[in-house]
Amino acid sequence: MSSHSHHDPLEKRELVEADIRERTYVPEILKGIALTTKHFLRNLFGERDPNPDVVDRKGLATITTVNYPEEKVDYPPGYRGLHRLVPREDGKPRCVACYMCATICPAQCIYIEAGEYGGDDEHAESRVIEKYPKQFVIDELRCIVCGLCVDACPKDAIRMDTYTHVPSEYNRQGFVYDIPKLLKGPAVSHPSDPWYKRGSSAPPDHVHKEAHTRITAGGAALAKRPPLVEVVKFAKP
Amino acid sequence: MRLGVVFVSLGLIFGGFFALMGGAYALGGVVEDFGRTHGVSGLASLTNILILMLMIVMVFATLLTLAERKWSAFMQDRVGPNRARFPGLPNASLAGIPHIVTDVFKMLTKEAFRPKNASKVLFALGPMLAFAPVFALFAVVPAGPTLKIFDHPVMMVSTNLDFGLLYLFAIASLAVYGTSLAGWASNNKFALLGGVRASSQMISYEVALGLSLVGMMIAFSTVKLAGPDGMSEMQMQYLWSTRVGSFDLGLPAWGIFIQPLGFLLFFAAAFAETKRAPFDSPEGESEIVGYFLEYSGMQFGMFMIAEFVEVVVLGGVIVAIFFGGWSLPFGNEWLMNLAVMKQYPILLGAIYGTVFWGKTLLLVYLQMVIRWTMPRFRYDQIQKLGWQILLPVGLANLFVSGALILWDPSLRALALFGFFVIGVFAFLTLTPPKQVRQEQEAADDHHGGHGHAAPAPHDDHAALPASTH
Ligand code: SF4
Ligand code: SF4
Repeated sequence: MSSHSHHDPLEKRELVEADIRERTYVPEILKGIALTTKHFLRNLFGERDPNPDVVDRKGLATITTVNYPEEKVDYPPGYRGLHRLVPREDGKPRCVACYMCATICPAQCIYIEAGEYGGDDEHAESRVIEKYPKQFVIDELRCIVCGLCVDACPKDAIRMDTYTHVPSEYNRQGFVYDIPKLLKGPAVSHPSDPWYKRGSSAPPDHVHKEAHTRITAGGAALAKRPPLVEVVKFAKP
Repeated sequence: MRLGVVFVSLGLIFGGFFALMGGAYALGGVVEDFGRTHGVSGLASLTNILILMLMIVMVFATLLTLAERKWSAFMQDRVGPNRARFPGLPNASLAGIPHIVTDVFKMLTKEAFRPKNASKVLFALGPMLAFAPVFALFAVVPAGPTLKIFDHPVMMVSTNLDFGLLYLFAIASLAVYGTSLAGWASNNKFALLGGVRASSQMISYEVALGLSLVGMMIAFSTVKLAGPDGMSEMQMQYLWSTRVGSFDLGLPAWGIFIQPLGFLLFFAAAFAETKRAPFDSPEGESEIVGYFLEYSGMQFGMFMIAEFVEVVVLGGVIVAIFFGGWSLPFGNEWLMNLAVMKQYPILLGAIYGTVFWGKTLLLVYLQMVIRWTMPRFRYDQIQKLGWQILLPVGLANLFVSGALILWDPSLRALALFGFFVIGVFAFLTLTPPKQVRQEQEAADDHHGGHGHAAPAPHDDHAALPASTH
């Protein structure tokens, strides 16, 4: 092999005759043993740092295992977890049963049955909207976790910010999530919400609550990072 | 914390060796005393079988089933088995020790399945024939000095045969029957092929195995392993020595110094006999269907434990032949002449026994680390290595050693030759291979020249067989 040949990556490399160190095996085996033993001793005497961020680990041990059920890696921000239906301040779903999510869903796993608010509905603030979901069902087994439903929703009523998996179940029916199972997490409200419809042009008597909420441990990771959406606060009059 | 646990465990291991060997000497002395008063001598062999083979070797092998997994995990930056728990200790993985218990339960409670048309007797005989010879090998390996306890000499070996090494070869070749029978009797062609691979490999390497030890035999002109005139104890003599006060210092005539090539050949050949990686083409755990394909439950467990017993026994045999047996590298005379040792010979025996098992532990580690470092040999590479490398090198080593022993019976010339060989290997190990050197030179030449050179992979030929050009 000429000393210049390997500078051209396209040139076909000739098969190099094995060196005496490889032909006698022993020196190469000794080097290999030294390497393996180094790892063995480091991991024998060094304690594994349980920090779930493997790259941030310190210490002698070179083990990168995260002992899963006991230690969990934080999901990255923007992770698409289990769906939730976002509640209003009064605990009802924000959903207005517009069928946008059910329409865009490529897996067709969202089933919605719309109900209508009557004119004499007891909830005065709900009167400004016409529809609400009587049934809202997601079959989490069919869902391909694409997140399109979240993007499609005009009312910020469905989110995938729970930072959890779909938990395991013993039967398929358990994966069919209805409103009681879906409706959870912190309430979210926007100034433009119709149920805050105002009679005058005065600023709304309510503080915008942006909920980039982390329901589980994932929140710790997000808290370290700059917010993805700037939170706008409306001053009281 | 972790350091403390490691040192306490090491202390427990060596303390265990110490206590067991002390107990072995004491029990041997008592039994010998009892036997002599009734006109029988040599009863201590029985207790030696009990303690050395049944207790130490078996327990050692059982612990190795876990150690292999745990050690390999550490070598590969994994955690290793840690999920089994003892009831009542739900949060303590105890370094995986509960896995030994669960493994044993699993083996014992699984169905011992026999294929429909398999030969009933031979199928059952297979695992026994694979296990028994391996186990019996240890009978001639001395684990400690012969000491006078209760006025009777007690040997720390199960049987002191005059033909120790020949017994070793004979019994080692018997293990072929177990594997080939297991392969044949299973009535399964894949098992049969595995058995054929195993037997051809083992028979090929027996030649190199025998040849590699001839150098040691002529150096000490004996085939005896145990006893004061045995190979193991004769390695205590010094080639060169001085004294510091009453402490004796020097270079002992260990086999590794006078026969380094013999050691390498024997180690390689014996490794092939154990059928462990890198020589595991007869059966390769998850990848290669092997001769015990049809075995399940404890019958499979016999094959598995036989492999680990083989590792321990091979470690012991190598220590006895090449690493001075139970002796210390220096200071033996000083230790033996200490007043307290003369007064309590059991203490001396326990110390030497611990030294023996400590050395064995190191060699067991060496076998494990090789198994987890080397890639598997291809089948043709195995045969080439055996017939085209080990055999000629063994013959050359035999002639050179014979000539040097004739020329200088004090073995000093042989030791100098041994150091030369060790030096050559050390030099080769510490200098980079030719291609790496060339690449470094080329990189230096073109430093800052035309752009960034793609780093050429230089490991693509590392695992090629020695004879590939
Ligand atoms: S994530 Fe995708 S597949 Fe799942 S429900 Fe939403 S739109 Fe459908
Ligand atoms: S979740 Fe959003 S998109 Fe789906 S029906 Fe309700 S309001 Fe419409």
